[in-house]
Amino acid sequence: MSAGFEPDAAFTGAAERFFELLKTFGMTGPGKAPDWSAMAAPLAGQFEQWLRLSQSASPWFSAVPAGATWPGAGWPAAGWPGMPAGTASSAGPTSGGAAPGSTSPGAAFAMPPWPFALPLGPAAAQGKDAARTLELLGRLAQLQGELAVHWSEIARTAAQHFVARLGAGATPPTTLDQALKVYELWVSSAEEAYAATVHKTEFGRLQAEIANTSAALLVEQRRHVDSMARAFGLPTRAEVDELYAQLKELRRRTDEPAAAPRTAPGASRSSGEPAARARGAKARGAKRPRAVPRARKRVRARRPRS
Amino acid sequence: LRAPGASDGAPFPELALRVAETLARLREARDVDVGASAKRPVWRRGKTTLYRYEPLPTSRRAGAGHRPVLICFALVNRPYVLDLQPDRSLVRRLLEAGLTVYLIDWGNPDDADRRVDLAEYIQQHLGGSVRHILAAHGTRGLNLLGVCQGGVLSLCYAALHPLEVANLITLTTPVDFQTPDNLLSKWVQGVDTGLIAASGNVPGEILNALFLALMPVRLTQQKYVRLLTDRPGQQAIEDFVRMEKWIFDSPPQAATALAQFVRWFYQENRLIRGGLEIDGCAVRLADIRQPVLNLFALEDHIVPPAAAGALRHHIGSSDYSECAIATGHIGMYVSRAAREEIPRRIVDWLRAHGGPG
Repeated sequence: MSAGFEPDAAFTGAAERFFELLKTFGMTGPGKAPDWSAMAAPLAGQFEQWLRLSQSASPWFSAVPAGATWPGAGWPAAGWPGMPAGTASSAGPTSGGAAPGSTSPGAAFAMPPWPFALPLGPAAAQGKDAARTLELLGRLAQLQGELAVHWSEIARTAAQHFVARLGAGATPPTTLDQALKVYELWVSSAEEAYAATVHKTEFGRLQAEIANTSAALLVEQRRHVDSMARAFGLPTRAEVDELYAQLKELRRRTDEPAAAPRTAPGASRSSGEPAARARGAKARGAKRPRAVPRARKRVRARRPRS
Repeated sequence: LRAPGASDGAPFPELALRVAETLARLREARDVDVGASAKRPVWRRGKTTLYRYEPLPTSRRAGAGHRPVLICFALVNRPYVLDLQPDRSLVRRLLEAGLTVYLIDWGNPDDADRRVDLAEYIQQHLGGSVRHILAAHGTRGLNLLGVCQGGVLSLCYAALHPLEVANLITLTTPVDFQTPDNLLSKWVQGVDTGLIAASGNVPGEILNALFLALMPVRLTQQKYVRLLTDRPGQQAIEDFVRMEKWIFDSPPQAATALAQFVRWFYQENRLIRGGLEIDGCAVRLADIRQPVLNLFALEDHIVPPAAAGALRHHIGSSDYSECAIATGHIGMYVSRAAREEIPRRIVDWLRAHGGPG
């Protein structure tokens, strides 16, 4: 099992936010009348903050656990050891936005720990490498700012719809069941407002661009690490990949007899396959396969391993 | 006992107590086991393992010559959701019906697998599993049950190797990746798949975050609140924790295969529009002429029903059946429907499409 499941964080986080919501609903206890119309603004504010914390960068790169070094922001955007002073503050409105003690859904699925303990990143990079990294960081911060506009819109719409559905004359819930029904109404309002925004083409484009910028940043950082690795005489990514490729090819050769086409009694190849293979071979411009050595033919006739 | 966030004077004191009690019981249940039926590995390739489930002592005797069933699950989740616990196990229902059941577990791709592509998964891992089973049983064709993304891989395999797949069952399998209600598709249209491939394997946590972001309030808030306020019994708590374990137990994704999947299926919709090639061989749904049973969920937010139902318009089979179930994506694996209706439909359909292997 991955380290992602942290039930305590998920359950307690949900419970905390639930009680916070009940307070915002003005449900100070049975019989005390809530002021529904005054509720929209604080409710929207709470929801917006939650969205920023939980969804801030993009689903691709936002799963930062609560209390991590980079609160509420996409991890590449929020800085790392060695980053020039002031860079992290450009990470946009999500940076540093975590309320003390708050948890986010991110708490339920921990992001892998930041991989670099060395002072890498822009500080370690030379000249234009650092400039490129900083450019990507700046772009990411800008995109997160654009995302924050959507969170505001979603939160405002959700709160307005919720209050409108309740109706000005709604009586305060006096039982737990009634309170839970109000909660369910809030959930529906929130999800509908969320769906209305996130299905828009503009939102999808923004999500994709954040994912692309984050990935580009990751690639850039790996390039820096490769430079460092070379300097220390360590294997680079490309060299490790080459070794993996060679290992795989060796395994393929040794496994070939076991993975050979079946030879069970009554078994036959698909009649459609030769044609398909021929099409494929033509498409690839493939050469004719080399003749299989006699010794290997004997091995191929064995039953596959169990 | 005190519920987090419930201060003195919090509304509905009994609620705070109820939440605190449930939280305590959830903590006690966190080590609950998952997986119910005995199985043994029978074949391996890379990180992929083919398992054969042991027959149950109480199983019905299947008719002579019945074909084995191979379950091909998604790469993005663990397959044990199909055998989560004895009373929530599609695998167990199939075993009880006397079927021989195999399952592909794709394992944990690591750094060495970042270049593993879809062709390797389909032709060598899935294909190797199929060939192993056919050889072991001395049969010409098996029953292939593809689930979700594994259904897409199964469609490709069935199209490429029609005689090795006697009957094809697809469960929550997307075919048209660009239906208007497919939010996941909208979000990945502009993603640079070259960058995905270059940036390395994608951690399972990232994909989890993506799936949860489709309906964040319901999936990360409401479901917990419902459980905490419901006075669940011990069984319900353990069931819930098992599901949570599964949901958050996502394997990393091999970079190249994921990038190809996003590009070929989500962005280019090649199953529908054509142009899909695996190992240089054209994959055409029209080449699927074997009997097909397509099961999908009507409330699926990951694979919308229109995305799965599109199969009927594109396959070449004249023997096509489909069944839309009133549940959600995960409900297809663990709901009441999953426990009763889905296994029954699969078993009945396979019996009707039996015949010598």
